Parts: sequence; structure tokens; C-alpha cells
Amino acid sequence: MTAVPLPATRRLAARHRTRVTLTLTTLVVALVVMGVVSAGVGQLRVPPAEVLGSLLHRIGVDAGPMPAHEFGEAALWDVRFPRVALSLLVGAALAAAGALMQGVFGNPLAEPSVVGVSAGAAVGAASVIVFGIDLFGLWTVAGFAFLGGLFTTLLVYLLSRSDGRAEVVTLVLTGIAINAVAGAAIAFLLFVGDTQAREEIVFWQLGSLNGTRWPYVVVVLPLLAVGLLGALVLARRLDLLALGERSARHLGVDVERTRLWAIVLVALLTAGAVSFAGVIGFVGLVVPHLIRMITGPGHLVLVVASALAGGLLLAVADLAARTLVSGADLPIGMLTALVGGPFFLWLLRRARTSAGGWA
Amino acid sequence: MVGRLPETSATRTEDMPTRAPRAHLAVALLLLGALSLTACGTGSLASVGSSTPDDRAVAAPRLGDVEALADPRTWQGGSTASLGEAPLRPVAEDPRPDLPVTVTDAQGTEVRVEDADRILALDLSGSLAQIVFELGLGGRVVGRDVSTGFPEAADLPLVTHNGHELNAERMLDLAPSVILTDTSLGPWSVMEQMRDAGIPVVVLDSHRGLDNLRELITTVADALGVSEEGRALARRTQREVTAVRAEIDAVAPRAMTERLRTVFLYVRGQSGVYYLFGDGSGADALIDALGLYDVSTEIGWKGMRPVTDEAIVAAQPELILMMTKGLESVGGTEGLLERLPALANTPAGVNGRIVDMADSQILGFGPRTAEVLNALAVAVYAPEAVGAAS
Repeated sequence: MTAVPLPATRRLAARHRTRVTLTLTTLVVALVVMGVVSAGVGQLRVPPAEVLGSLLHRIGVDAGPMPAHEFGEAALWDVRFPRVALSLLVGAALAAAGALMQGVFGNPLAEPSVVGVSAGAAVGAASVIVFGIDLFGLWTVAGFAFLGGLFTTLLVYLLSRSDGRAEVVTLVLTGIAINAVAGAAIAFLLFVGDTQAREEIVFWQLGSLNGTRWPYVVVVLPLLAVGLLGALVLARRLDLLALGERSARHLGVDVERTRLWAIVLVALLTAGAVSFAGVIGFVGLVVPHLIRMITGPGHLVLVVASALAGGLLLAVADLAARTLVSGADLPIGMLTALVGGPFFLWLLRRARTSAGGWA
Repeated sequence: MVGRLPETSATRTEDMPTRAPRAHLAVALLLLGALSLTACGTGSLASVGSSTPDDRAVAAPRLGDVEALADPRTWQGGSTASLGEAPLRPVAEDPRPDLPVTVTDAQGTEVRVEDADRILALDLSGSLAQIVFELGLGGRVVGRDVSTGFPEAADLPLVTHNGHELNAERMLDLAPSVILTDTSLGPWSVMEQMRDAGIPVVVLDSHRGLDNLRELITTVADALGVSEEGRALARRTQREVTAVRAEIDAVAPRAMTERLRTVFLYVRGQSGVYYLFGDGSGADALIDALGLYDVSTEIGWKGMRPVTDEAIVAAQPELILMMTKGLESVGGTEGLLERLPALANTPAGVNGRIVDMADSQILGFGPRTAEVLNALAVAVYAPEAVGAAS
């Protein structure tokens, strides 16, 4: 391995590096811009100068005008900011979970909502709401969502894998079955739940960030942080796993352990995303694919860039959800599915032609 | 599973790109599978209430003034109960609230109300806003829920969307100084956001029925510092309800077995929602008060749940109560029988005996309960008086 790399290879590597840097920088800038724009637009009109003024005052700088509206400050800090923050976190968590899943399943169609992990997490969270379980406050919802998500991810993994890979057809059909069972479980929970529990669950089956409060953000943030960190640690091993199970083993990867950890991380990230925002589909599918097209399949960059782009996508989607129709809040899951559905179809067709069949 | 809203779940599932002609079957199945979860929900009492006042039918006369059918069973065809254009009758004209007050609400939270100049009263049935208006504080109400459809409030801005979802920024935009609500609107965290913003939120019992009318009215009044008006309104309501019930008792069959077997159906045509309202839904109290026989109690039906064809046939209702918009959504009586063929095998279906009333009125227990009962009773016992033809 001491051979001097060919100049062409070196040039390629350098170009790749530039590309990665450029992508990450663009994403970070876009994310910040989006965050600011999103924070400045809403049903209660607060001019940009006042938004800025309010922000500056909070961090101790006595500059700029304060919101003129009696509840402008409250609308920003109690309603809008936590919502924007949660949209970023949830988007990041979903996209990172998608990237991880695709790596560990060796399948481009693996995604929390498609294979039923989101639904599994939703069952966990919904049972907390219906049965009024309250062990650790808000963390209870996240905890049960994690258990539900972990159980379904393991189930999908065990059911759909053969010879170290999950075939498209098997994965997709397993997803249908899991989604069906989870759907039934939720229907049952809705049936036994009282009106208030029902409202809460229904609301989130369509996916929504309406009603986001800071404590939710506080719960989701560490889940995302741990999930992302873990994903970064696993990234190298997932790269090797992409060479095939046997090659990875020869290169010193403990394949089973890697898979198990990846599954735990997927469940963790999905739980963080589902607990307070409900089932928002297709983010974990669309984002990693787009990123892979730009930066290639290396997991380290893929996970980081996916998280950034996922946050960006959901922030945009949520902004659209709450401002497109005046006075209304569109279900955010509807918007992401509208984009994600056709994308998914396209992927399926491509997988069929390029991989020479359904495997 | 059915949708929270008529136009959400079911219709959306139909609109999914599963119709792509060349898409593989698996694709179609998959999308359905993946989206069924997004699409499923309950009919959580989706659109009780309309956003526009809707009173085209003839206002009902007093039950005591009209000739009742000798045998209510013999009547064929539907009838509509309506309050017509009857205005609200506030007990006082803009009374001065005696504030501040501290009340303990239905959740046990101590709430201090200092200012009742800008009121939001929001619930699923529209009862709370109606109480506030009847207390004479209508001029201070700054927004409304979708169920509050009476003309006096119709011009107020809506703060709910997608049926009954609360919109935090809309509410804050109206700068309310006090919010009255119950737990029937969601998401609940929006109310917590209001508390975060420093707005007092008084939560009332979400049960609606004749048994807690008085308490509901006085609690609202106490929280707004108009206790005296509250007592007056509660007294008036109670008196009127007692009077109407006496009139109903005079025409309703005395023996339980003679009373019309009745069910309350909640229907939203486009999304295939068919609910039977049972114990604790408010419909049970309504049916009892009308001197009808409540089938849902007989079969032990709790709450608001989807109904099966067999349950309907087994119930053999002789009369069906419905919301006007619900009946319209399936295309009237004919459409209803077409969609729920099981109904055709019941006496109510055979006779087309359906009594409907505006969505925002029929279950809105409040100060107008007596009028609602009267209108329904006339539609049941003297349908000719509201212009129905056999």
C-alpha cells in the first residue's frame, strides 16, 4: 500500500474534498438563513427588524426595536422559535436515521417510515398518551417511542435479511406488514382512548409541529446528539460493510455488533423524531439519496450532510405548512409525502433496471 | 380507520399516486402501506359545527302550540329542527366584570383572571362561546371556534383550522386577556403555550349534558367575574328546560316500550365515517330528554365509536338523529340509505324517519338547550309544524 497514488486519483480525491467542503458549507449557510427566515414569518406578523431586536435583547444586547404586538414576544419565543428548532432537529434525526438504515440494510429503500420503524415508535408513544403512563415526565413518550422503534427495527431486520442483505421486495413487503400491524395497534389505541388522547394521536399521525414547546426540544436534542455521534463512530465500519459482509469481516469489522449498534441508533433517532412531531414520512429516504449523489457513498460525510439537509428540508416544509394557507396549518407529513412519494417511485424503477431485477 | 376530517384521510388516500397506470403492484401496495399510517386517524368528531350559520329551515314553533301526531310511529319522511333566526337573549347588557378573581378550574389548576376585556371561549360544541354571549359579554369576545356559528359571532376571526386544531399564533395575534376552554380541542400543548405567554387559561369540564348545564354556566360566569349574571342565566336556562321537558312529557308516550327507538348517527360521507354516539357523548342525554328510547344504552354503547352494519340492523332504530351537514354530506336520506344499506332494514330506514339539526346546535348544550329540545321535539312529534310532508 505504499505505491504513490496516480496523479489522476489524487486529482479526483482533491475534487471530491472540495465538493464535500462546498456542500457542507452551502448546507450550513442555507440552514442558518432558513432558520432566520422561518423565525420571521408566521400568522402573527412581526417585522424582521423586531424579530432581530427581540433576539438581541434576549442575548443581552440592547439594540433594535422590540415586537410592537402585545404578544409578539410570546409568539416568537413560546410558539415560533421552539417550533423552528424542533423542525430542524426532527429533520436531522430522520435523515440521519435514513442514511444509517440504508447502510445497515445494504438497501437504498430502507427508511424509518417505509419499513415501519416510525409506526412502531408511534405505537410506543401513543400507548403512553392513551394509558396516561407517566414515569419520567416528557421523557416517557420518548422512552416508549424508542422501545417501539427498537422492537420494529429489529423485527424488520430479522425478517427481511437473507445472506447479509435485505432484498428490495422482502424489505418492502416486510414494511407493509409492519406498517399494517402498527396501524392496527394505533387504531386500537384510538378506540380505547378518550377524546383528548384521540385528538393528540390523530394530530400526530398526520405529522405536525403545531404546539411545539421548549421542553420537547430539550428532550429531542440529546437523542439527536447521541444518535449522530454514534453514527459518526460507526461510519467507517458501515463503509466497509458496504463492500459485502465477508469482505468487511476480513477487514476486521465485527459485523453483527456493528449492525446491532446501528439498529439501536436508528431507533434512538426515530424515537426523537416521532415523539413530538408524529410520523413524518420520506425525509429519511429523499435526503440521503440526494446527498449521496453529490458527495458519494462515504458514511461519515453522508450522515453529517444528511442531518444538515434533513433539518433544512423539514424547516422549509414546516414553513410551508404553517404559512401556505392563511389561518391553516397543513399537515407536514402530507407535504413531505407529496415530494417523497414520487421520488420513491422513481427510486424503485431505477433500482429495478440498474440492479438487474428486484434484488 | 377513518379520518379526523372529511377531507383529510380517506380522500387523501384516494388521491395518492397509486393510480400511476404502469406502477408495479408492489409499488402501489407499498405506498398504501407506508402512507396508511399517515392517513389513518379517527373521526374524532371532526366537523361538528359549521363555519357558517346555516338556518334555511323554518324555525320551530313551541311544542305546546302545535298539534302532535297521535302516534309518532306512523310518520314517514324526514324533518329538520331549526332555531331559525331567533337572536340570542343576553341576560345583561355588557355587565361590568368584578375582577380580579381566582378560580380553581376543572383540572384543579388555580387560575387568576384579572382582565376580561378580550375573551376567547373555545370548545368542540361551541357551548362556551354561547354562554359568554348570553352572559352579555359577547362584545368582548375576540375570536371563535368552528362550532360557534350563530350570527352574532359569525364575523369573528377563526382560531381553529383543519376542523378543530388550535392555532397558537392566531390566538396570540388576537391578544386575548383570558381563555376559556375544555379538553375537546387540540393539541393541548397550544393551551400550555398560551399559559407560557402569560394568558390565564380556565379549563372547564368537557362533559356536555343536561346534568351539568347549571354548573357549566356558573363556572364560566365566575371565571369572568359576572357571577350574578351567571346565576340568572343558569336559573333561566333551568326554568326553560324544565318547561320544555314538561311539554315533551305531555306528548311523549309514557311507557318505555312505546317510545321511539332512537340512535344518534354521526356521518361524514366523503370519508366513510359512520359513528354511533352513545353513553356520555351528550346524544344519550338528548335522546332521554326528548322522551325517546335510547338504543345505545340498551346495547351498552360507550362514547363515540364507528358503527357496523350489523349493529345498526340489530339496533332496529325507529328514528335517527343526525347533524344537517352530515346528512347533506351523504346526499340526504336517499344517499344515506344507499351508503348504509343496513339502515334500509330498520324501521327508521323504511320510513325515512330522520330528524336533522344544524351541526353547531344539536349537541351544543348551553343556554339555548331548551330551544334545541323544543325544536327537536317538534320535528319528532309534530313534523308538519316544521314544514315536513309525510
